[in-house]
Amino acid sequence: MIRGAAANARYFFSEAFRSIRENLATTVFTSITLGLTLAIFTLFLFVFINIDKSVTAQGDKVHILVYIRDAALSSGEKTFRGDALGVRGVKDAAFVSKEKALGILRQAMKGHEAALEGIDAGVLPASIEIRVADAYLEPAMFMTVVEGLKRLSWAEDVQWGREWLKKFSALLRFIEIGALFIGVFLAASTIFIITNTIRLAVYARQSDIEVMRLIGASRAFIILPFFIEGAIFGAAGGALSLGMLELARGVLAANVPAYFSFMLDMPLTPAAVAAILVFTGVFMGALGSFISTERFLKS
Amino acid sequence: MIQLFNVTKSYDSSAPALKDITLKVSRGEFLFITGPSGAGKSTLLKIMFGSESPTEGQIIIEGRNYFKIPPREIPRLRRRIGFVFQEFKLLPHRSVYDNVALALRVMGVDPVEEKKRVVKMLMYLKILHRANFKTESLSGGEQQRVAIARALVKAPAIILADEPTGNLDPELSLETMELFKEVSGKGTTVVVATHDKGLIDRYGKRIVHLEAGRMA
Repeated sequence: MIRGAAANARYFFSEAFRSIRENLATTVFTSITLGLTLAIFTLFLFVFINIDKSVTAQGDKVHILVYIRDAALSSGEKTFRGDALGVRGVKDAAFVSKEKALGILRQAMKGHEAALEGIDAGVLPASIEIRVADAYLEPAMFMTVVEGLKRLSWAEDVQWGREWLKKFSALLRFIEIGALFIGVFLAASTIFIITNTIRLAVYARQSDIEVMRLIGASRAFIILPFFIEGAIFGAAGGALSLGMLELARGVLAANVPAYFSFMLDMPLTPAAVAAILVFTGVFMGALGSFISTERFLKS
Repeated sequence: MIQLFNVTKSYDSSAPALKDITLKVSRGEFLFITGPSGAGKSTLLKIMFGSESPTEGQIIIEGRNYFKIPPREIPRLRRRIGFVFQEFKLLPHRSVYDNVALALRVMGVDPVEEKKRVVKMLMYLKILHRANFKTESLSGGEQQRVAIARALVKAPAIILADEPTGNLDPELSLETMELFKEVSGKGTTVVVATHDKGLIDRYGKRIVHLEAGRMA
């Protein structure tokens, strides 16, 4: 039984390699198509991840200022920070003393120091500068943080960049929806191209498949060599896409303005990208073969 | 055992290829189906094999109603039937050995056993010297022998042969029929469609004669 299974495994692989040899042009074409679509998809992913990362980094600029009542100042910096950090959605809380606030004001009004003459630190309120966790940057969630901070006993007033928040969240949503559409379109086109290319190979061998069915071959027995064949040219396509991706990144980097070049950065190590591409190629090739052969057998 | 009840097969609105065929073939029986070209011999064999469905009627093969067998069990049933197709249905780019061995591989037969049985069958059908040749390079008679070898090598319960000697010389035709007779003697049901009257007369077995799709 085990020897029979081993012989069958040998048969499946030899069939897959034989088919690749006999249909070399189709195999090369499919691998290149797969490589190209994978490279385009990956390049798109890189650009999306880098823009998303860059936009999310801008989220750090969205902060809330909680002004502290003068009467409560004796409670101490630790209490204010501790209370603020206890509010759900607060990532960081920094104490800004009256003196530090004046320093910031002086810095901001550099060149117009005369306007600040006679003003001492006592005039400005001390505050806590809040940074919000990424998950709370969406306006509705953001407002729950603001409400939580307003309820703190020592809070005199709470201020935040309302307009900036709106623009930021609209931009983020636009990027995410755009990415979703493009991503789904590219993934669907990739699978469509692969299944159709493989379907051609399956149709080219329909008389072989018919004979196999007539002599009592099971579905698995018929499908497995195609499945292995799909995985092999998927792996080749994955490896090819790596080369195409590097080439595209090189060409684009030389042609886009320097301030856009961050979009082409590799978000993972090259080894991880290579492994993901080859694995994705194998998965898509095998899945495409499976879908095409299944459809053919059902027809 | 094969049983057909009131089987009719129509392809379009013209005259049916088979009309109201009721037939029983017992285990180990050797049956000839005869009749002129277009009488429905091949259609009847294909219906017995299950590669064509009748328009009306019922078929019981090996005690099972063909229409009640789940699709995934059809391959298992086909492994118990050896079919010699008139048009051979070989894999043209594969060697003679591979074509015959494939019938055993789909059954998961051990490779050592596979080799023993394939070589024995090729030797018997005098085609062993062509074992490594692709079937597309063989003559019609040689391809027919490969098709017969593939049907017999799995020691099936039923053999259905459509004009199995059509491309063979008289000597080899007789040897092939002797082989069918031998396996029939061991309990295999054999149904041979042929219009070779000489062969039919020589063996004196039961005959079903078809005329325009009807049993005459």
